[in-house]
Amino acid sequence: MRSDVWLVIAGMAVATYLTRAPMLLALARRPLPPRARLWLRLVPLAVLPALAVPLVLVRDGRLALGWTNPALWGAVVVFVLAARRVNLLLSVSIAVGVVALLRALA
Amino acid sequence: MTSRPAAAAARPAAGSVRDGFVGSLALVPSVFVYGTVFGGLAVQKGMTAAQVLGMTVLVFAGASQFVAVPMLAAGAPAVAIVVTTYVVNMRHYLMAATLAPAFRGYPRRWLALIAHLINDESFAVAVARSRPPDARVYLGSAAAISGAFVAGVAVGVALGGLVERPERYGLDFAFPAVFLALVAVQLRHRADWLVAIGAAALAVALALVLPGNWHIVVAGLVVSLLAASLLPVDDADEGEEERA
Repeated sequence: MRSDVWLVIAGMAVATYLTRAPMLLALARRPLPPRARLWLRLVPLAVLPALAVPLVLVRDGRLALGWTNPALWGAVVVFVLAARRVNLLLSVSIAVGVVALLRALA
Repeated sequence: MTSRPAAAAARPAAGSVRDGFVGSLALVPSVFVYGTVFGGLAVQKGMTAAQVLGMTVLVFAGASQFVAVPMLAAGAPAVAIVVTTYVVNMRHYLMAATLAPAFRGYPRRWLALIAHLINDESFAVAVARSRPPDARVYLGSAAAISGAFVAGVAVGVALGGLVERPERYGLDFAFPAVFLALVAVQLRHRADWLVAIGAAALAVALALVLPGNWHIVVAGLVVSLLAASLLPVDDADEGEEERA
């Protein structure tokens, strides 16, 4: 292994910390105007689907919208269960089981 | 949320560290197993145990670590690895902004430490429970997630990856599953649905053309800013904004 591994790790640590600390330190201090609060309320509603849905629908850089995509079925299952207020651990376990089963059958 | 008494009853005003910890247990097995996969992979690529654990504790951002290790092994320039890490982790800006109001009144040196623990899973757990998120719920979740990840990496370094292909058991799907479940419980107004569907569609379209994690940052930022500038401010349920 190369000799600059610790240097790279230090660089990665600093770069990552710079994505975490500034907003937390800056915004924790002051009360925010109403429109900024509205924005912060909407951020999770935009970020969580942006995290999750490509993991379900994009495989190897291509769109996987077909019925043979196990993750699509798992997504439907977990979404419906969670919307009906089924416990998170149970909803996720059932969905993971569905995906594992469909992959085993494929 | 005052217009839905049932939802309000299921959601105590003040959360506890325990709530956050227990609320994160659905993710602990997957986080642990992916920790072992990372630990095993990094050692196999030639990193020492100290380097693997050092990276895990100092960087503590799984996705970017999985990206960095093959780059390190392939001899990529240090600057390229650091810049890639930064881009992959830029989504933290949005999460930190959302979490910040929960930590009003916390001493700055604590905030500096808490910032290091920001992760996708704890963000999701904390914002699904209350808005603004509860600091203690977030900290309980961060304890569960960071503990599971660091322990998983340590086990992976010592024994190699425990599960050769976690995908076979659907363990990779636990991540989108949790994020989707936590979106589902937050969709109350028609505007919420529009934001969620708009962000999902834009993120999928961008993921097909952009490398890395750009789609998360761009879709999350564009759609939330667009909606926040178009929606009337009184849609920001003021009842929710009060702290217990």
